[in-house]
Amino acid sequence: MIRQIKNIAVLEPSQIVFEGFSCILSKSGQQFHLLRTDDLSEINNLAEHGKIELAVINPSQIQNRNKEFFAIKKNHPAIVWVALVYNFFDQQLLSMFDKTINITEQGDSIAEKIKNIGNSEIHNSFDTEHEQLSEREIDVLKLIVKGLANKEIADSLNISIHTVISHRKNISQKTGIKSQSGLTIYAISNKIILLEDYSKQN
Amino acid sequence: MYQTKGNFIRPEMKISSLIFENPNLLLLMEHLEMDFIVHEKTVKQLCNTNNINEELFLILANLYNGFQPTEHQNLTREDLNTIIKFLRNSHNYYENEKYPEIRSFLNQLYLQNNSAEIQLIEKFFDEYFNEVKEHLHYENRVAFPYFNRLLNKVQVSTNEKIEEYSVNEYQEHHTDIEFKLNDLKELLLKHVPVKNDRVLRRKIIASLCELENDLNIHSTIEETILIPLVSKIEISDKTN
Repeated sequence: MIRQIKNIAVLEPSQIVFEGFSCILSKSGQQFHLLRTDDLSEINNLAEHGKIELAVINPSQIQNRNKEFFAIKKNHPAIVWVALVYNFFDQQLLSMFDKTINITEQGDSIAEKIKNIGNSEIHNSFDTEHEQLSEREIDVLKLIVKGLANKEIADSLNISIHTVISHRKNISQKTGIKSQSGLTIYAISNKIILLEDYSKQN
Repeated sequence: MYQTKGNFIRPEMKISSLIFENPNLLLLMEHLEMDFIVHEKTVKQLCNTNNINEELFLILANLYNGFQPTEHQNLTREDLNTIIKFLRNSHNYYENEKYPEIRSFLNQLYLQNNSAEIQLIEKFFDEYFNEVKEHLHYENRVAFPYFNRLLNKVQVSTNEKIEEYSVNEYQEHHTDIEFKLNDLKELLLKHVPVKNDRVLRRKIIASLCELENDLNIHSTIEETILIPLVSKIEISDKTN
């Protein structure tokens, strides 16, 4: 699913800067949900609960807390970390961020930057959906449709349960369909199984 | 989540312009039993005339415009009544409007596209909707009566707690319901071949999206507004 609303945590002590940033984004025509935070730990908390996809941080807030920031970043690889810069900061500190926004940048370019972060994620999700099922995945799909449990599928194909689960995951990702009855209809529509065979077993 | 390009709604905005921007707000007003003739009223005035807490209305309306509720809500026991009214009316909308609508589209679809897949889709939809109904009936039977007692400060016996309205079981149920609805959309849009049924299919997919949107809002309200509020009331009742 394409998520257009970006939930953004902002760690910025200045009210003026925060309001200005928020105003620029609201004029961009795309929806963003900003959550203003007072501390790095609050961002961590939001990240743990999957509430944000992006964090905009004034680097002064992580000075001397590099290690903590690094750990949080490592735990949440899906989140994009952006530095909001209007003082001089050490290059090393800035290099910990994925992207930087400079205070002197034009509003359009700031909004564009944030938008592009979203778009690149959207493109990724499109790519995966174009793939065809592999032969092995089709074997697994046929057995799912028959109503076999993971263990039974593993035994009949001589593979581990772990592999079955990973095939199932790929099948759902490629087809966009998660339920067994949904996959059955998919398999019939795509002539992977014959309707007569399906009717016989039911 | 359903996409709207709505504004973040504030009390001084005119409700009629907001509705033209996102007509789904009419559904919100319907669920809250509000009058549709809104004249030139602002959100604030609309809430006053209808005796609805402005803060609660803003949270709900903004949810319809695509903004998730924040954790800082100052809702009280009195708001519980409005929330339950909203949820009950939305149940009614699913069962008595949306389900029959989609069901009848599927019947027509089968008449035009007499294929085995469509027959299976019909079966799939019925099974799916039975699960939804089971969930709705559980709420009507177990959850709402409990909230009503809480609302009226009737002594709640110790073995009857919020745990009964099991949040975990709920979330599992919600996820399952969302999966299947999504499967239906995927199948109709990507896989099941079209046979002269384009118009109908467009109507079905649009209708499924509407249902999905409202179901999503419904579960967000339960998970992020209703349950926190109920827990808050329970705690305050205990300490009093």
